[in-house]
Amino acid sequence: MKIDVKHIAQLSRISLTDDELKKFTPQMETILESVEVLKEIDTKNIEPMKGHVKLQDLREDTPSESLSQEEVLKNAKYKENGCVKVFGKIFGESQES
Amino acid sequence: MELNEKYDVIVGLEIHIQTNTKSKMFCSCPTDYFQKEPNTHVCPVCLGLPGALPVPNKRAIELCILMGLATKCSIANEIFFDRKHYFYPDLPKGYQISQYKKPICSNGFVEVPSGLKVEIERIHQEEDVAKSTHHTESSTGKEYTLVDYNKSGVPLIEIVTKPSIRSAKDAKDFATKIRQIARYLNISNADMEKGQMRCEPNISIQEKGKWEYKDGKIIPLGDYKLNPKAEVKNIGSITAVEKAIEYEVKRMADELEEGKPLKQQTRGWNASKNITEFQRYKETADDYRYMPEPDIPVIEISNEDIKNISKELVELPNEKIKRYISDWGITEYSAEVISSTKKSADFFENLQLILSKKIGEKEAAKEASNWIMGPLYAIANKKGKDFSEIGVNSEDFAELIIAFKDGMFTKNKAEEILNESIDKGINVSEEIQKLKSVKDSNGSLTEVVKRVIEENIQAVTDYKNGKEASIGFLVGKVMQITKGTSNPNDVRNTLVEELKK
Repeated sequence: MKIDVKHIAQLSRISLTDDELKKFTPQMETILESVEVLKEIDTKNIEPMKGHVKLQDLREDTPSESLSQEEVLKNAKYKENGCVKVFGKIFGESQES
Repeated sequence: MELNEKYDVIVGLEIHIQTNTKSKMFCSCPTDYFQKEPNTHVCPVCLGLPGALPVPNKRAIELCILMGLATKCSIANEIFFDRKHYFYPDLPKGYQISQYKKPICSNGFVEVPSGLKVEIERIHQEEDVAKSTHHTESSTGKEYTLVDYNKSGVPLIEIVTKPSIRSAKDAKDFATKIRQIARYLNISNADMEKGQMRCEPNISIQEKGKWEYKDGKIIPLGDYKLNPKAEVKNIGSITAVEKAIEYEVKRMADELEEGKPLKQQTRGWNASKNITEFQRYKETADDYRYMPEPDIPVIEISNEDIKNISKELVELPNEKIKRYISDWGITEYSAEVISSTKKSADFFENLQLILSKKIGEKEAAKEASNWIMGPLYAIANKKGKDFSEIGVNSEDFAELIIAFKDGMFTKNKAEEILNESIDKGINVSEEIQKLKSVKDSNGSLTEVVKRVIEENIQAVTDYKNGKEASIGFLVGKVMQITKGTSNPNDVRNTLVEELKK
């Protein structure tokens, strides 16, 4: 079982040292191997088990009160002008949506 | 070599639209965040706090289905949500709830004025991200980002076309039609400046005859290798959609002619310089590690639901255009302009209805269209408004048109009255009555002309002696007496006739 831990780390914006890579790769491979046994089960023609809800039973579009700005920013380490302040160069210029 | 002789232009569009709901997609936070204090429309759900659970908004899903119905899509009977993972400060959960393999709406189309049916691959439901602004600390030079989560979780639909568009103009027209549909059905205000609608074109150019379009895909023929595409972001207006595509097509053709290989990339539109700017290469495929959203059950959509939602459909611009042209013989251009907003189409149809009580149905439509596209459009343009919004009373307008058609006054006079009714609020009916009594007291045009000839012997003599210019003087005299109720050409002709005697 091969897993590209470096790639996974990059996707998660985590930097790993070479030592950490060496340490984590076999650990993550073991996890994947133990989950791999699930693939042996034949799930052909079996629908995924999920709860169902009818459109009409969904939440009505009625707004209610939000948190206060103070509460929203409580966990933010840095803040400025009512916004959460994040350091570091953000890759790319545009937003994803 | 001319660009269009060598290459075909291939465009696909992704359009994001914020839908008009009162509360967010997966929580009850209000959506009216525009120009509000940052981070005041936020709760644990849209802030992505641990343990918070998404609760889908019924109205948002109805609006997504409505957009699908308006664009002839098939609607899924079961709705699934998926998690799209990426890490960015504007996405607090670390994933966006979106739809991956099974969108709510699929395989629709919208026809654009060129006759092309732009194929829609899918319309899916997702949530908007937070707003981030980028800054640099002046003291340290450190770069930082400020994040306002008010926009996080606002319902967003994404409309994705197949690469079925072949010109910048058709792309612009498609975006225009989508915006019109969204506004007609009150799905969204779709204001691009406010970020309620965003367009991202995918553009490539391919050598003519070297590719084919099959099953919604561009397939290379023989050993031809397809040129990579560029995606353009940050487009802030519908006109910029067209300009950005034109710019990209030229840039790519120039690079190929210079022998430079193209690379797949994301570029940003710079509206002040009218150019696209390089942002990043897309060397590897996006790796969003989609997974089924386990916190939201499958939502069942019955045919009854779809039937109920379709009751919100109204006659859409393309249907109106077809009807105006086939039933009433309106020109295509006028039909496009008049149907561009629901308000203006309603104004036109109401005017047509009032006029048709006096004149034939077709004639009524043609008169209404001519008067709207001519005088009214000019007045509205000067005011920088839509013609349906300058406060013209349709009853008055119709009365004016009928009076003009009855030969009561000149077109100039009619436009003058129209202008004054808008600017000074004069009563159109009274004005018409006044002119009518002037006309009645003057008798027929011939009588007025005879009187003028009798009273201006010098000018008549001059004319008869070959000084043709003096007829202008006589026309002026007649016009003065009739106060604009007669047509200068008629006056001139009648004068010439009478002077021959």
